[in-house]
Amino acid sequence: MIHTTFYDPNITVVRPGVERLTAINAKAFKEDVADLINGGATQLIIDFRDVAFLDSSGLGALVGVLKKIGHRGDLVVSGLNSDVQQMFRICRMDRVFKVYSDVDTAVQTMAETQ
Amino acid sequence: MIPNRYQMKNKLEDVTPTVMSLKADVCVALGASTTVRFEICLSEALTNVVKHAQPTTPDELIDVTVQETSDAISVEIFDPAGAVPFDLRDHAHDLETIDPLAESGRGLGVIMQCADALDYGPSGDRNRLILTFIKAIQ
Repeated sequence: MIHTTFYDPNITVVRPGVERLTAINAKAFKEDVADLINGGATQLIIDFRDVAFLDSSGLGALVGVLKKIGHRGDLVVSGLNSDVQQMFRICRMDRVFKVYSDVDTAVQTMAETQ
Repeated sequence: MIPNRYQMKNKLEDVTPTVMSLKADVCVALGASTTVRFEICLSEALTNVVKHAQPTTPDELIDVTVQETSDAISVEIFDPAGAVPFDLRDHAHDLETIDPLAESGRGLGVIMQCADALDYGPSGDRNRLILTFIKAIQ
């Protein structure tokens, strides 16, 4: 389901691989990202560039992977369109996640802070 | 003229196609900003029915009707036959105070926040959630 791209140093960009991250696929998304974390990924960027819509189940899955990575690393998000941004605001997730406008900015910032 | 009646199977796979049909039919009347809230709200509401309503048989359909007035659009979602009444107003968590790291429990609060008005109660032999959205000023 997810698509991954690896950058130095140890940064993993994850694209959910679906146009709509909702109750029907949120569990699979969470499990796929959890497998990455179990495999040693510690610096994760979830890039929503190709995601048009996100519901509360999708956000819940995102919170789940944030909790899983915990203090072992960092997880940020990028590429939110205006609809997904609004869902983040409605659910106050803009207070929980570091949000970057695009994946390149996220990669650069994450690399500089390691 | 917005179509009046929609019907979906009691399956998660049917939520997105139903929401997309509804969205396409109301987006001009509601305007872009309200349509975003509409899509979020309907997606959460229909998902909630599918996940939590326990109909008499799995094949019971979920009926959705749309009522249009001069200043608003109301969507009525009828629980499938046999479902136990569930007034989400009694169960919704305040999105301002919910644990930010909770992995579930936001959906009902999202419905409450995204609709301009909300009602729930019996209608005939079933229960009905009414979600109302104010039209954009033309």
